[in-house]
Amino acid sequence: MGCSSSLPDRNSGRLGGLNPENGGTNDAKNLRVKLVLLGDSGVGKSCIVLRFVRGQFDPTSKVTIGASFLSQTIALQDSTTVKFEIWDTAGQERYAALAPLYYRGAAVAVIVYDITSPESFAKAQYWVKELQKHGSPGIVMALVGNKADLQEKREVSAQDGMEYAEKNGMFFIETSAKTADNINQLFEEIAKRLPRPSPS
Amino acid sequence: MPSHSKSSSSSSSSFPSDDNGSDQNPSSTSNLNPPSIDQSLDAIENQLASISMFQPDTLLEPGSEPEHESESESESGVNDEIREELVNGSLNKIEELPEKSARVEVVEEEVEEEKLKASSSRVWTNVSEMEEGEVSPSPSSSGYAGERGSSVTSGIEEDVKDDDDDGNDDEIVDGVTDSQAPWTPGKRHGDEDDASISWRKRKKHFFILSHSGKPIYSRYGDEHKLAGFSATLQAIISFVENGGDRVKLVRAGKHQVVFLVKGPIYLVCISCTEEPYESLRGQLELLYGQMILILTKSVNRCFEKNPKFDMTPLLGGTDAVFSSLIHSFSWNPATFLHAYTCLPLAYATRQAAGAILQDVADSGVLFAILMCRHKVICLVGAQKASLHPDDMLLLSNFVVSSESFRTSESFSPICLPRYNPMAFLYAYVHYLDVDTYLILLTTSSDAFYHLKDCRIRIETVLLKSNVLVEVQKSMLEGGMYVEDLSLDSASRPGTVSPQVSQSRLAIDSTERLRDVFHGVGGPAGLWHFMYCSIYLDQYVSSEFSSPFNSLRQQKRLFRAYQKLYASMHEKAIGPHKTQFRRDENYVLLCWVTQDFELYAAFDPLADKALAIKACNRVCQWVKDVENEIFLLGASPFSW
Repeated sequence: MGCSSSLPDRNSGRLGGLNPENGGTNDAKNLRVKLVLLGDSGVGKSCIVLRFVRGQFDPTSKVTIGASFLSQTIALQDSTTVKFEIWDTAGQERYAALAPLYYRGAAVAVIVYDITSPESFAKAQYWVKELQKHGSPGIVMALVGNKADLQEKREVSAQDGMEYAEKNGMFFIETSAKTADNINQLFEEIAKRLPRPSPS
Repeated sequence: MPSHSKSSSSSSSSFPSDDNGSDQNPSSTSNLNPPSIDQSLDAIENQLASISMFQPDTLLEPGSEPEHESESESESGVNDEIREELVNGSLNKIEELPEKSARVEVVEEEVEEEKLKASSSRVWTNVSEMEEGEVSPSPSSSGYAGERGSSVTSGIEEDVKDDDDDGNDDEIVDGVTDSQAPWTPGKRHGDEDDASISWRKRKKHFFILSHSGKPIYSRYGDEHKLAGFSATLQAIISFVENGGDRVKLVRAGKHQVVFLVKGPIYLVCISCTEEPYESLRGQLELLYGQMILILTKSVNRCFEKNPKFDMTPLLGGTDAVFSSLIHSFSWNPATFLHAYTCLPLAYATRQAAGAILQDVADSGVLFAILMCRHKVICLVGAQKASLHPDDMLLLSNFVVSSESFRTSESFSPICLPRYNPMAFLYAYVHYLDVDTYLILLTTSSDAFYHLKDCRIRIETVLLKSNVLVEVQKSMLEGGMYVEDLSLDSASRPGTVSPQVSQSRLAIDSTERLRDVFHGVGGPAGLWHFMYCSIYLDQYVSSEFSSPFNSLRQQKRLFRAYQKLYASMHEKAIGPHKTQFRRDENYVLLCWVTQDFELYAAFDPLADKALAIKACNRVCQWVKDVENEIFLLGASPFSW
C-alpha cells in the first residue's frame, strides 16, 4: 500500500482536508460548520471544548494527541441551529506541521492563548498569520484569552489582545473554562458571525 | 531480597543450565588483563561509583555471594576491576584498549568484593545520615509508604495496577518501602537531577540523548538539568566509537550500563535489577521504537541539518507514554516474548468481531484493531499487510497511556516502526467502553470521516452481537487458572473459564474446586505458566493465583521468566530445548520447540517427573482451548 507520506511538509499543501463530504452548511436554518481550535500547548483548548460540549472541567491536564473530534449543536434566538464540528488540535510542536490537515476547509478558527503567558500570545499571533496565509478564504477567526480566572497572574492585558484582534479583523473574548465564564458566549458570538447561505 | 539465587539443584535433560557456567574462577582471569578503561570514563567515575555503592544486597546480606552473569564473562574481551578504579579514581591509559575485541565489555570481578563491601557499607552510613538533611523529599517518604504484605490479589488487576514502585527498580535502593500503591503514568521525581541522592539511588534509569550529548528523555529527573550527565554518556559512546569500536555494556558493581546507538540517537539504561543484558537491550530497542512511533525516523534529518538540534520539544507531553512503556518492562511478557496476548473469548464471539472488522478492512482501512487494555480482542489487516507484535505493543501502549483518547474520538498521526519507520500512518482511536478501544489505521490523511463511519458500523454490530458484554465478562473472570488443570488425561478441562464454557453444569463444580483449592495452586505444584505459540506470535499466561498474590511476587516471577527466556535464547550457547531449574523460590521449567515455548513455575519442592507431566498436560490444555484463547486465522506474521 502506498505509505509514503512522512513528516508532512507544511508548505506542500497536499494534505487534503478533514471535511464532511457534503461541505460545511446544509440549509439556512440548520448550519453545520467545521471549527478548529489552535494555540500553544497547555492554554486550555481542550478545556474550552469540554466545557462547551459537556459542561465539564477537569483540572488534571490531559495532553491532546493529534486532534480530538467533538460536536455540539446550539440554537440561536432566530431559531436557527448551528452544529459545530470541532477539531481540538494538539498544541505540541510536533503537530504544528500537521495543522493544515485540521484547519483546511474550516469555516471557523478559534485561536487560544493563556492570559498568564506572553509566549502563548506570541504563538497565537503565529497561528493568525498562518491562517491568513493558508486558511480558507472568508474564515471566521476568534482570538480567545483563556484562564481569565487567574487575574492575579495575568501577563497579557485585555487591551493587547483586543488591539491585536481588531487589527486582524478578529472577534476577541476572554474566557475561563474553569469557571465557564464566557464559554457559551464565545460560541454564540461565532455563530452570529457566520455567513448565512443565501435563501434559495 | 534479591530476586534470584543460585539454584540449589540444577539439572537439564539435555543441556547444561546456564547459571553455573563460567563464574567458577572469576578471580583467576581478572588480573591477567591490565586495567584498560579509557579516560572518558573518568568523568562518569564519581557518578557510577556513587550509584554502585548503594547496594542493599551487600548491606543487608553481607554474607551472600555475588552472582555473575555467565554470558558476559565468557564473551568478554576486557575484564577489568572497574570497581576498584571507580573507587580509587585511578584510571589507565587509552592505548591499552585491545583493538581486536569486537565489543568492549567492562566486567567487574570478585576480587575486590570484600574490600568493596566494607567501603560501600561505610559510604552507605554516611549517605543515610546526609539524606536526612536532603531538601527534596525522598520517595520513600513521599506518600506511597506501603505496608509489606498487603497486596492486590485480583488476577485481573495484573495488567494495569502492577506497581513499579514495589521496592524494585523505581524505588530507591534503600528499599525501605514495599509500596503497593497503584501505578500512575507520567514522569515522577521530575525535581531530581544527578546531584540528588534519591536520583542516584534509583534502581533503573533510562536515558535518550542525541549524538551531540543533548538530553532527550530521562526516566527520572529533569532532562534539562541532566545535560552534564548526558554529555558524559555521550563522551563514553563517542570515545569508543572513535576507536572504531562500540560500547555495549559496562558493568560497575551490580550496575549494568547498557548502550544502544541508533544513528544520531543514543539510548542508555543504567540498572542494578540484575536483568540479563539481552533483556535490557531489548527494552532500549522498544524505547527507541516508541520514539519512532511518535516521530518517525525522519527526525534523523533534523540532526543532519543541525547536529545540536534539541529534540525535547518534539516529544512534549509524551512522558506518560514512555513511563508506561518502561513500567510494562516489569509486568508485560510481550516486551520480551515478542508476541501478543488475546482476551479469552468464545470462538463465535471473536468470529463476530472479526467479520465486521474484516468488512471495514476491505474498504481501505490498513489495520483494524479491537483491544481491551493490552489484550487483543480481534485484529484484521488489509491484504498482505501484517502487523508486528512489537508494533502492537507500542501502539497499544501509546493509546492506553494517552489519557486524551478516552475523552473523545481522535485522529492522530502515528508511525509503526516495524511496518515502515519512515512514514506516518493515521490512527482513528475511539473507546467503546472504559477498557475497550478500537484503532483504525489508514495511510490516508483525510480519511477521518470514513473511519468515523466505519467505527459507527462496527460499534453497532458489536453491540448487537453482545461482544462488548462478553468482553467485560471475560475481563472480570479471567482466563486459564492453574487450579483448573487436571493431571488425569481422562478428564480434560474443556474450557478456559466459566464464561466460555459450553456446559454450564461444569462451571459450578469448577468454581467450587477453585474455592476449595485456593492457595494451593495447580496439580504437581504448578503455580503459573506461560505458553507462547511461535506460529501465531501469540502467548497465553495463566492468571495469577496464590502464591503470586502480591505485585512484588508477580514481578519476581516476571523477572525469573525474563531471565529464563534470555538464557534459552542465548546465541553463543543456545538455542536450548529444555531447562529445569530449582531454587528456593520455585522450580522453573522451560520447554522450547519449533511450535511453542512453555514457561512454567512450580512449588520449589515439586517433583521433577510430575512437573514434566504437568507441562505436557498444560500443552494439551492449551491445544484444547486454542479456539478461545488465541486469535486464529489471522495472517501469520512474517518477520
